Amino acid sequence: MNQESERKPRILGFLCRWCSYAGADLAGTSRKKYPANIEVIRVPCSGRVDPLFVIKALRLGFDGVLVSGCHPGDCHYQTGNYRTRRRMAITKKFLEYVGVEPERIQASWVSASEGGKFAEVVTKITKELKEIEPNRLFDDEE
Amino acid sequence: MKNSEIEQRLRQEAKALLEQGKVDCIIGYETGSLKFTTTPLITRNKDDVERLIVSPFIVNNLSVYLTEIKGKVGIIAKGCDSRSIVNLIQDNKIAREDVVIMGIPCPGLIDLNKIELSLGKDRDELDNVTRDNDRVVITIDGKEKDFPITEVLFDNCLECEFPTPREYDVLLGEPCAPVKSEVSKKTSIKELEAMPRGERWNYWKEEFSRCIRCYACRNVCPACFCQRCFVEESEPQWVSPTPKWQDNLMFQVTRNIHVAGRCTDCGECERACPMNIPLRSLTKKMYDIVDEQFHYKAGTDKNASPLLTAYEAAEVEDFIR
Repeated sequence: MNQESERKPRILGFLCRWCSYAGADLAGTSRKKYPANIEVIRVPCSGRVDPLFVIKALRLGFDGVLVSGCHPGDCHYQTGNYRTRRRMAITKKFLEYVGVEPERIQASWVSASEGGKFAEVVTKITKELKEIEPNRLFDDEE
Repeated sequence: MKNSEIEQRLRQEAKALLEQGKVDCIIGYETGSLKFTTTPLITRNKDDVERLIVSPFIVNNLSVYLTEIKGKVGIIAKGCDSRSIVNLIQDNKIAREDVVIMGIPCPGLIDLNKIELSLGKDRDELDNVTRDNDRVVITIDGKEKDFPITEVLFDNCLECEFPTPREYDVLLGEPCAPVKSEVSKKTSIKELEAMPRGERWNYWKEEFSRCIRCYACRNVCPACFCQRCFVEESEPQWVSPTPKWQDNLMFQVTRNIHVAGRCTDCGECERACPMNIPLRSLTKKMYDIVDEQFHYKAGTDKNASPLLTAYEAAEVEDFIR
């Protein structure tokens, strides 16, 4: 039980393979410390992330979702991250309207050389999510 | 121009299109089986055009059929419908030259449910319902009763921005001005936004506990044209097939995000819902978000890139770390 509560909040990260995933890798190899609350899924591009993935993660009980890609202008496929930006902007606003806390939907630009930034982002998000209630949005009462 | 005149012009137009072989098929409205209602008429026969009608009850957004019908099509479109057609052109679902749009300026459609509610009578008891500029005149037992249009038009018609079609080959009737009336009721966006967040979630939870996942909202939506919807996928199974409120809500929220920038606020989803879930409070909110953040109004420009495939280098970024 104790172990379980230590793992809260649980964060699901969608990291683009060209920038953010390499950035996360760099955070590890350069021994930066960041909370172990994040579970990572590597995606070919942040543009691969359908808002459906984000909603499904919340439905499965993740406390927060992070979508991370290359900085604007640096996308390996030229425009993938710009599309993600539009999509995530409306997703975040809309979910907030339905009643989801805005802290649960997170996005960041982390390049392959920004191991430090990745550690920082995860630390900050974890802290923010600790301040709000655990995700009980989709819980069954019965 | 009166509806009967528009109707005559429409029939001539439709007949000519079929006779000259400019279209293979006509999509319009005919008298429905229930009083006042209309039903879609899809025909390849030029004699059927006499059945075409125009009335304040032509609610269906006919553009939903365009992706399913092969060949050239002549279609009747109100303001919102024409925008749905433009969406389909933008998304390369149909070619502009394959469709002949007969535009009808639409001053707003009459919501029979609103009339029934305020009169406490069934629609079968009404003798006649006619529109006269800013009034709607209802005849019951030989007596006439007047309503201002703001009380009896559909909510989306009251807030309509483009009553005159944006895209058409022929326009039947003169362009008309939007009603521009604000809707305020318990389920309107303003009221919902005033609630604390948790309460809002519980509100939607309550509403979607009623949902039976019949997918009527999706099936009437011209913006929902995926060959295979995510709710029907089994590997992975995104949503459980049993209509639990969690999955119902997840379905509707995702559907709204998927049609962002394509929803023209035609109001068909809410009308189609057999459980009376106020779906328009979701779709209109998304419409507003898209407008606010990207100054994009669905279906107003056939040469524009669809919202979610386009971008500008400098755009909303305040939420990104």
